[in-house]
Amino acid sequence: MQTISSVRGLAGAGLLALGLAVATPATALTVYSAGPAPLIDALAAGFTKLSGEPVSVFQGTTGKVFARLEAEAANPQADIVISASWDSAVDLDQRGWLMPYTSPNAASVSDAYKAPTYVAQGLSALALVWNTKSGTPRPADWSDLTADAFRDKVNLPDPAQSGTALELLAGLVSAQGDKAWQLMSELRRNGAAVAGANAAALNPVLQGAKAAVFGAVDYVAFGQKAKGEAIEVIFPSSGTVIAPRPMMILKSTAKPEQAKAFIDYVLSGAGQAEVAKVYLIPATADVPAQRPGLADIPLLESASAAQGGTPPATDRATLLREFDKAFGR
Amino acid sequence: MGAHGLRRITIAALLVVVGLPMAMIGMQAVFPEIAAGRLGTPFAALGPVLQDPRLPQLVWNTLKLAAGVVLLSAAIGIPLGVLRGWFRIPMAPLWDLLLLVPFLIPPYIAAMGWILFLQPAGYWQQLTGWHAGGFLFSFPGVVFVMTLNVFPVVYFAVSRGVASAGGRLADVARVCGAPPWQALWRITLPLAAPAMAASLLLAFAMSIEEYGTPAVLAANAGFFVLVTGIESRLSEWPIDLPGAAVMSLILVALALTVFSLQRRLLRGRDFETIGGKPAAAAQRELGAWRWPVLLIFAIVVALATLAPLFAIAATAFSRTLSGGLAAGNLGLDHFRAIFTEGSAALRAFGLSIGLGLAAALLAGILGAAVAYVASRPAQRGGRWLDALSALPNTLPGVVVAVGLILLWNQPFLPFTPYNTVAILLLAYVCLLLPYPVRYSQAALRQVAGNLEAAARVHGAGVYRALWSIVLPLIWPSVLAAMVLVFAVASRELVASLLLAPAGLQTVSVFVWRQFEQGSVGQGMAVSLLTILATGGLILAALHTLRRLQRT
Repeated sequence: MQTISSVRGLAGAGLLALGLAVATPATALTVYSAGPAPLIDALAAGFTKLSGEPVSVFQGTTGKVFARLEAEAANPQADIVISASWDSAVDLDQRGWLMPYTSPNAASVSDAYKAPTYVAQGLSALALVWNTKSGTPRPADWSDLTADAFRDKVNLPDPAQSGTALELLAGLVSAQGDKAWQLMSELRRNGAAVAGANAAALNPVLQGAKAAVFGAVDYVAFGQKAKGEAIEVIFPSSGTVIAPRPMMILKSTAKPEQAKAFIDYVLSGAGQAEVAKVYLIPATADVPAQRPGLADIPLLESASAAQGGTPPATDRATLLREFDKAFGR
Repeated sequence: MGAHGLRRITIAALLVVVGLPMAMIGMQAVFPEIAAGRLGTPFAALGPVLQDPRLPQLVWNTLKLAAGVVLLSAAIGIPLGVLRGWFRIPMAPLWDLLLLVPFLIPPYIAAMGWILFLQPAGYWQQLTGWHAGGFLFSFPGVVFVMTLNVFPVVYFAVSRGVASAGGRLADVARVCGAPPWQALWRITLPLAAPAMAASLLLAFAMSIEEYGTPAVLAANAGFFVLVTGIESRLSEWPIDLPGAAVMSLILVALALTVFSLQRRLLRGRDFETIGGKPAAAAQRELGAWRWPVLLIFAIVVALATLAPLFAIAATAFSRTLSGGLAAGNLGLDHFRAIFTEGSAALRAFGLSIGLGLAAALLAGILGAAVAYVASRPAQRGGRWLDALSALPNTLPGVVVAVGLILLWNQPFLPFTPYNTVAILLLAYVCLLLPYPVRYSQAALRQVAGNLEAAARVHGAGVYRALWSIVLPLIWPSVLAAMVLVFAVASRELVASLLLAPAGLQTVSVFVWRQFEQGSVGQGMAVSLLTILATGGLILAALHTLRRLQRT
């Protein structure tokens, strides 16, 4: 039975490793955040350094963050939630889950990106991402992707899986009406593919399987470009939408003061500098962006585009149904 | 404490690990507001889900996919397993290791690897000028990629079953004048039937439950299945827990139907082959057939193991994806980034290995106990235990995760594993319990009950008889299952994404976050290191296993 004892030894080592891994202080301020991971890690570390308050982070997609919030509803664990979807904050606010707080540091945040119970951490915009080595002409507007040169070469993130893609669709429809649906039909005729969430749509463009993404989240692409990928991030001339990333304090928090201090920190110069570092547009006007700022991005002329918000849930279902129809899904 | 004690402990453990989380999912399906601690509006979620016009299509696609994967897995895994178990294959341990690698590669990584490999402008086109994007993003493509992940479960079970089933009985047949092929066909294969059936059932459950491949590939193919529907209800705003629970129950119903079918097929037969002193099964020589057989193994390994590994390694060692396969684009940048970015990747790695080992040990013990308790004919309710232990295999990881949160996040609990690393361990043991149960069961079916009875007659207690007689006889199968549990648990993604306690991440979660940020190269670099490390650990375990078989 020598083998059994050696297996026992291995398992013992495993349990020991587990024990060592459990080092999270139970009393830490708990933040549930949508990506990017390096940003929330840096913000948590910066806040702990400043205040001495430990922060423990759960990071996932907006969907995972909210699935966890819903499943935990009987006994909420999070103090602060940072989401990539403005609607999710509006929704939680309507359900009365949020604690009102206006940070003094939010003074220079544009009114469009704050409300009594939530405020933007940073902003992203939706863009065309184009592979410069793809042998296709540089597109300047959304409709350029319906040209023959882009036949079978365009990816769209699925608006059912990507909140930002849905916001773009809503923005286009509310600004252009039927013309937007016509654009979708032409894209489909040109062989455009609906390809999963944001990352799934972008990766094939990096390798060159596709030439462009219609409506990619810009900061991820700027990050890839900085790493040397042969891509260009283009803001279409007819305009795009801004996707603000709301952060909010849950009413159920046992640590309201620390939570408020965390929001203050994220909106401070130091916090917003971290936001800028991952190529998001800082929410406060006084910290410069490391990439084209709000002034350089043409916006669609519609209320929802400037607000970043999407229409209510009933419209969401209609939009998705129409989109599926346009793409024959 | 006698036989009843063991039975009671086993049932209690099974209820805590599997029964209660499953019950919470059932409750969630019936009471939509249970997550908020209320029992209002019962059955409100059933209507909208069951009347969804897309549901029949999702169910049909799920069955179609599972049927395709099971058939193709059987077509590859059974002949290969029979060859491996019946004949002496040159370099057999190497083939075993190489065919275990598909388990070590998380399915979504393998699918991404295939995309990077076969899509237009992918590595294959860069090397040969051809691409197979049309095939990959289609139903046959999804079946192909998924089968390559799943068939090893059939291969290992069949090779083990054939090796132990009736080596001696087949020799008897030979002595009595049967030609070798007849001995194989009439004696060994029928005796290995439980192993085949059990592994095909596992393959079926795996393919209706697996999320990674359909999510990565099928979305492009416009091919949606139940599990992608469930996942979308749990990850797209607005979140729909009750709807996801209802759809999960549909999956469970599908799996239970197939499960009871399998039981009916095997019922009333007797597969006992080990009725006395076990003898080392002498494997037959291949002779001139050696080369064609080796060629078959090489082709399967090239497809299932080398192709995805190549795509993963090529991406990990490329500076940029857009640079392609070019000497100037090669570099260690992604590996350097892992080690300079602080210890996050290494800590994640340690956590995953520790969790994998602990899950293998716990699932191995519990699985063997469940199989034992359920297999003895005198026990009533064995069928229910058996079914309960098979359930998690049919549920998507994300649903099990939700069940665990609903169960363990209740405010009235005096202590809870939730938000500690123990919740991940619970999730892995729950999800992977079917492996050791199936494997032990197949082994137990071949161990005659009179061996144990003989030990009892000679005065050994229940535990003594188990420890000295039954366990040594089924140990190779249990250990093989534990290796599988370790391999899968150390890379589990779907449940980990939702359950990871704040502040902790497993390797798979770490990699997935890299992908989400578009850092495919860095994610692939961590994946490659993890595959190599877990492969090394398993190599050690297989080595032990081999030594064990010789003695």
